[in-house]
Amino acid sequence: MKDELLELKTRVLKKLESVAERSDLEKLRQSYLGRKGFLTLLLKRLEELPKEQRPAIGRLANQVKEELTEEFQSVSDSLTRKDAKEVSALDITLPGRRTPTGHLHPITQITEEICTIFVKLGFQVVQGPEVELDYYNFEALNMPKDHPARDMQDTFYISDNVVLRTHTSPMQIRIMENTSPPVSIVAPGKVYRPDSDISHTPMFHQVEGLLVDKGVSFGDLKGTLTTFAHQMFGPDTDLRFRPSFFPFTEPSAEVDIRCVVCQGKGCRVCSHTGWLEILGSGMVDPEVFKIVGYDVESISGFAFGMGVERIAMLKSGLDDIRLFFENDIRFLQQF
Amino acid sequence: MKVSLNWLKEFVDIDQTPAELAESLTMAGLEVEGLEHKAQNLNDLTVARILDIKLHPRADRLSICQLDVGKGEVSVVCGAKNMSKGDLVPLALPGTSLPDGMLIKESKIRDEISQGMLLAEDEMGLTDDHTGIMILPDNLRPGQPLSDAMDLEDWILDITLTPNRIDCASIVGIARDIGALTNKKISMPEIHIEESDTLIEDLASVTILDSQGCPRYTVGLVEGVKIGPSPFWMRYRLHVSGIRSINNVVDITNYVLMELGQPLHAFDYNLLADRQIVVKRAENGQIFTTLDEQPRDLDDQTLMICDGEGPVALAGIMGGLNSEITEKSGTVLIESAYFNPTMIRRSSKRLSLSTEASYRFERGIDIGGVDFALKRSLMLIKQLAGGNIARGIIDCYPEPWSTPKIILRANRANEILGTSIGIKQMADYLFSLTMAVKVVDQNRMEVSPPSFRVDITREADLVEEIARLFGYNNIPITLPAIRPTEEDISELVLRDRIKAILVGMGFSEIITYSFISPKSADILGAGVNSNLRSFVKLLNPLSKDQSVMRTSLIPGLLSTVRLNSLRGQNDLRIFEWGKTYIKEEEELPQEKQVLAALITGMVSTQKWYQEARDADLFDIKGMAENILGELGIDKAEYKRNSLKEGLDPNEYARISSSGSDIGAIGKVSKEVMEGYGLEKKAYVLEIYIEPLLPLVSRVKQFTPLAKFPSVRRDISIIVNRSIESAMLISIVKGIGKGLVESVDIFDIYQGKQIVPQEKALALGISYRSKERTLTDNEVNNIHEEIIEEIRRQTGGRLREGPKNGNPR
Ligand SMILES: [Zn+2]
Repeated sequence: MKDELLELKTRVLKKLESVAERSDLEKLRQSYLGRKGFLTLLLKRLEELPKEQRPAIGRLANQVKEELTEEFQSVSDSLTRKDAKEVSALDITLPGRRTPTGHLHPITQITEEICTIFVKLGFQVVQGPEVELDYYNFEALNMPKDHPARDMQDTFYISDNVVLRTHTSPMQIRIMENTSPPVSIVAPGKVYRPDSDISHTPMFHQVEGLLVDKGVSFGDLKGTLTTFAHQMFGPDTDLRFRPSFFPFTEPSAEVDIRCVVCQGKGCRVCSHTGWLEILGSGMVDPEVFKIVGYDVESISGFAFGMGVERIAMLKSGLDDIRLFFENDIRFLQQF
Repeated sequence: MKVSLNWLKEFVDIDQTPAELAESLTMAGLEVEGLEHKAQNLNDLTVARILDIKLHPRADRLSICQLDVGKGEVSVVCGAKNMSKGDLVPLALPGTSLPDGMLIKESKIRDEISQGMLLAEDEMGLTDDHTGIMILPDNLRPGQPLSDAMDLEDWILDITLTPNRIDCASIVGIARDIGALTNKKISMPEIHIEESDTLIEDLASVTILDSQGCPRYTVGLVEGVKIGPSPFWMRYRLHVSGIRSINNVVDITNYVLMELGQPLHAFDYNLLADRQIVVKRAENGQIFTTLDEQPRDLDDQTLMICDGEGPVALAGIMGGLNSEITEKSGTVLIESAYFNPTMIRRSSKRLSLSTEASYRFERGIDIGGVDFALKRSLMLIKQLAGGNIARGIIDCYPEPWSTPKIILRANRANEILGTSIGIKQMADYLFSLTMAVKVVDQNRMEVSPPSFRVDITREADLVEEIARLFGYNNIPITLPAIRPTEEDISELVLRDRIKAILVGMGFSEIITYSFISPKSADILGAGVNSNLRSFVKLLNPLSKDQSVMRTSLIPGLLSTVRLNSLRGQNDLRIFEWGKTYIKEEEELPQEKQVLAALITGMVSTQKWYQEARDADLFDIKGMAENILGELGIDKAEYKRNSLKEGLDPNEYARISSSGSDIGAIGKVSKEVMEGYGLEKKAYVLEIYIEPLLPLVSRVKQFTPLAKFPSVRRDISIIVNRSIESAMLISIVKGIGKGLVESVDIFDIYQGKQIVPQEKALALGISYRSKERTLTDNEVNNIHEEIIEEIRRQTGGRLREGPKNGNPR
């Protein structure tokens, strides 16, 4: 028995010397140290030995097992090191296999960002026609023909009665005509005005908003738009509401944020005022409610509208609006 | 509008700094967009007295002035001729800079030393006058700093007026708002008129034949005036306001316009036939020459001011050349009137003629202040041009303005604003805006706005005034409880899904203008009756290239390819999601949502792991399949049943599903590519969203995962090239009776080993049953049956090789 153990040890050690593959090592381990391996089987025969021999042989057996186990570990370690050496021949700096990546247009991204904020507040996204009746674009918004307020917006005409919408505000009328209060919508989309220079393109994008319900106040308008500005431009964004004029809101307010470029010190972007106008808003004018047949006394509401390009430019530092519609792929891939 | 702070201060006390004032006006709705410090550096200039003038010995056009500058004498070479010995003039000594940045140095001009420069008004940025050196009033002392001596320093506020606040298109209007904001009283200019004994009625008459067009017309008359230049202070203020100086009488009408907001017109009385004024409509086709020497084509909607013979002015817009004030005018008749805003606006639009006067009339001036402005001008004329003011004025005002009464409910105002302002406070605000306020009960008051506040007619308008004076920023912030509107958003959900798929496939989104060139239809080869020609045309396009609304997104894609290829970017994957606009019988066109994608150049470039490959039709088809597959539209068919404009007749397909036309794919035809100056190949995909929408399942139905193993068998078959793979697949599926799980075409061969009319297709069929494990026998039987049927229907034959029929 003792000889058998020593012979087995020698045999295994010899075999270990020529092991080169991890799989061979594992096979060898199984056949000697495994549950049905030679050493295990040998140890089972201990019981057959006379009682007085058992302790000595037992000690020897354990010693052999420990030695072999150690030796297996050492061979295993050296195989690992060998593997590692081979791995280092890999050039990990080679560029990976990439699939081409696409980009959403920056205007789409900003529009989505704006709409998502309002959707989370409970507004619903709606869309409408871009070739629009004069009635929806002007008249129903309290701008009859020959109204001086029409001068605020140069217009592309299709016919006497049809225009390219100059703002997304016609959606206010279209929605209210078909829905009874409460109404809470945002309407993103393209709008058109005949104007073309570094800060104007004849087509651009707006997002319109409208909330009509019982007891909606100017305070609610301030709260909603403050929440929007904080989510869009950061929670520390300072903003101010100042009186303005839109024919379809009364009172009307422009909303400015503290200039994101100069933090209010005054710079070229904010025309040295320290403030940037980001949207127009106001309480829905009672005339508009009358036009769509709402009861002026029982409800109230606010509306707002903002230019997507302007916000995208403020957020990205872009200073030429025309780049949005040139679609140079290098431009698109920056967003 | 440019507003002088010094001028404002004549009407109201201002304690604020110019910046503070600008801020408070902005926050009250009068947006100050610019603030300019006027004559800021003019204290560097000195008042100097001319002691002597002699001619320059070596230059005829120059003279040398000996000047007293208070603490000494200097000598300056000067080119102007208008000054004389003893005059006071502005002098820039060496070391000072002019407003345009020019630095004055001591210099030698033709051997004569010049120790500074005498200045004209324009060189100091005061007016645009460059007729000669400015001659200063004689009460100044040599050596005084110029700005202090002349009181030149001023601040100019550039105010952007909203269309409703026409009352603020004047110094007095802005002053009134400052007064209301700061609790100060307004002081109007005092009128002292010394009249002659001649009654105006004996000299002139006024008849209004169109009282709707002209509710009020007043005239005054000054005999024996002397027409000449205006004094410097008036020209300075007009210049700051952006108005060119003409002569004293015309300048006065403009000065009063800026000051009080009332447009005035001065006629040369001696040129008025029959010494009378008649206000009436023009006749259609009548021609009238305005002051700017332009002949104007009139119609019977145009209101005219006429004399005994014919028109002398385009009412409310511009005077006529035939009654213009000139140096010869001795007697002037001044008109101050109120014209119907709509009529003036219509005429101004029709004639494309907009003036300071028409701008104000069309928005509504102060009908109650018409006579005051007239008297103010008469007083100034006597003061600056001399003459005798005829006794009285003629005031045709058949229906005097009646004060409106508006009921304001305090609780409604607070409800709208979200405030709790007391009724007393509200009344105070309105009162400070010069409104008459009568409190009716605890909640209501009756408010009468003054005649210049033409924008205030309703309770809502009063609420805005209260909010303005309370301060928008003092209104507490609240959040509304929002009850959502129910709207169908399935299209938006679909749009976002499709865009995400495209971006995932490497496509970048573009946005192009909705208007294109009408030529694009020709380039696309559109037929005479094609929808592509059903253009919505713009009446006033910016250019011919942007004169119609697009009927296809493909021109936009191709223009984008062109722009990028000019910049060396030839490998593109782009898409646009947008509308096409198809003209219909109805007033509004059909706006259809379309997705269009394009791939051009290489789909893969040469890399260490891959070969370069150009895009082809099956790249774009794969994209289409990816999109439709993701949307759960598996049964899309690709057919070449009718040609598609702009696409290569050999490489295209229309996509349909459940009988609806939902899109197309194809190679852009060579002619179209040439039309856009492009050489490479481009492949496009169009998907029409409206017909697609009902086919997209909102719910994805769960199919139990297969429990039993699948068996794969391949077929390699040689068929005629005209046989389409779709036919083979449908045979396989037909015979397979639900046991065919999928069919894959894993190889196509056309080449030397077979005849040119044929191709070899390799099909991999995966068999699987939902209920049991299929036996080899079962599979072999079906597989044989399938092969037989393919042979029968296509006349094809199995290709020699080990693959046939063997499990892999
Ligand atoms: Zn700034």
